[in-house]
Amino acid sequence: MVGEVLRRTWAMTRKDVTVELRARERVNAMLFFAALVLFIFNFALGPDQEKLREVAPGLLWLAFLFTGMLGLARSFQAERENECFEELLLTPGDRESIYYGKLAGNVLFMAMAEALILPLFGVLYNLDIWEHLPSLALVALLGTVGFSTIGTLLAAMTAHLRAREVMLPLLLFPLTVPVILGSVRATEAILAGEGLAGVSHWLKLLAGFDVIFLVVSPLVFEFVLEE
Amino acid sequence: MLRPSLTARAFGAAAGLLLAVGLYLGLVMVPPDAVQGDVQRIMYLHVPSIVTAYLAFSVVFCTSILYLWKRDLRFDAVAVASAEIGVIFTGITLATGTIWGKPTWGVWWTWDARLTLTAILFTIYVGYLMLRSFAEDPQAGARYGAVLAIIGFLDIPLNHFAVYWWRTLHQPSSILRAGGPSVAPAMLVPLAVNFVGLVLLYSYLLLERVRLERIRHRSAELRLKRGRRG
Amino acid sequence: MGSWGFIGLAYGVGLVALLGYFLRLKGRLRDAGEELTGLERDGGRRT
Repeated sequence: MVGEVLRRTWAMTRKDVTVELRARERVNAMLFFAALVLFIFNFALGPDQEKLREVAPGLLWLAFLFTGMLGLARSFQAERENECFEELLLTPGDRESIYYGKLAGNVLFMAMAEALILPLFGVLYNLDIWEHLPSLALVALLGTVGFSTIGTLLAAMTAHLRAREVMLPLLLFPLTVPVILGSVRATEAILAGEGLAGVSHWLKLLAGFDVIFLVVSPLVFEFVLEE
Repeated sequence: MLRPSLTARAFGAAAGLLLAVGLYLGLVMVPPDAVQGDVQRIMYLHVPSIVTAYLAFSVVFCTSILYLWKRDLRFDAVAVASAEIGVIFTGITLATGTIWGKPTWGVWWTWDARLTLTAILFTIYVGYLMLRSFAEDPQAGARYGAVLAIIGFLDIPLNHFAVYWWRTLHQPSSILRAGGPSVAPAMLVPLAVNFVGLVLLYSYLLLERVRLERIRHRSAELRLKRGRRG
Repeated sequence: MGSWGFIGLAYGVGLVALLGYFLRLKGRLRDAGEELTGLERDGGRRT
């Protein structure tokens, strides 16, 4: 049973990744946007290096989240444009696999973007990220998964909506405040050299968030896909 | 269904009475707070408001689950009605909280934990109402809404932890509790009276708003039948 | 603005919000009721 779900999930993810690698639309857009954001922050916030370092963790996550949003918005675009939603429904098997497949794809793309944004960020804002890479990666993973669990669900819901470009962020950001706060605080502690021990409660919150929505989202996903 | 039910009218009348009493108690009878002075009286509206809002959103949560399970549109009618009224009460909480904040803290807005959480709550349920209205048809709107309501409600405790930790772990000294360091027993009375009054008002508005849905459903049914016949 | 000014503003906002919602609801109910009555009346007739 679990094997079936995994196999179908993998099939879904692989389809999305293959499509994307051929067209490279999504990843290109995300990276371009991320670079843009990082540059603009620098101009917007002025040359004061100290001030920039203070707000750096927040800036990093702003870049991650806006880029992630862009990816999420497009994650059901192919289905919507090609009217494949009905096809998805006809695919035999449980809806949960579709959700997990889409989720894995979204996490993958967001992680790819983050992997490229982080070094760029380190260079632009003169921060030593290499020393703390494992911790940063852990926090990034927890945050990315959390953001993507609700994000994937909402992306499916808003795919055929009027004003979907507005609705997705409007719905997503208030719901993911715990992820945003936790990720930024933890990143802040890491970059300040304090290590993860001091922010263990934030990590637990992130992990708890991830678990809750990893369980609940696939359960309600079938109601989103109906008809 | 074209007139308010007896129950609804009873709730409405009782609400009016209790709120009038509560208003008098809170604004006239009870002495001003020792620390905050008269401004503290705003709390007699602010606190019952947010509690009623949470009650309303709990109802949205339960009826959303019931709707997805039973597919009875009556559950969905209660959900949307409760969400609308909940948003109104949350808006009042936000406004009264801000207005209380100005004379107390000197500024209209601070990123105080309570205010921030209330603002997030407001945005979540306004988003719920928008999602429903932008959906391609009412059935889809009901479904999407129900899913969002479930996710949103589970999210609320997580938001509480996050925002409170965000505010308290860095600035322990700047916490001002809305009711003051302690609530004198005399102050509990207008709080309780207003709370019951607002819950009764919520019940009245809920019944009337659900009645509106019922009328609309009936009209839609009749239009469908006419379409088939003509 | 004195204390009572703020108090008045706060309770005023509450009153306006609740009263406003209530009145709008009544309006919507009236409109929907008229529409339903119209439909029910026409329902017996064939065009």
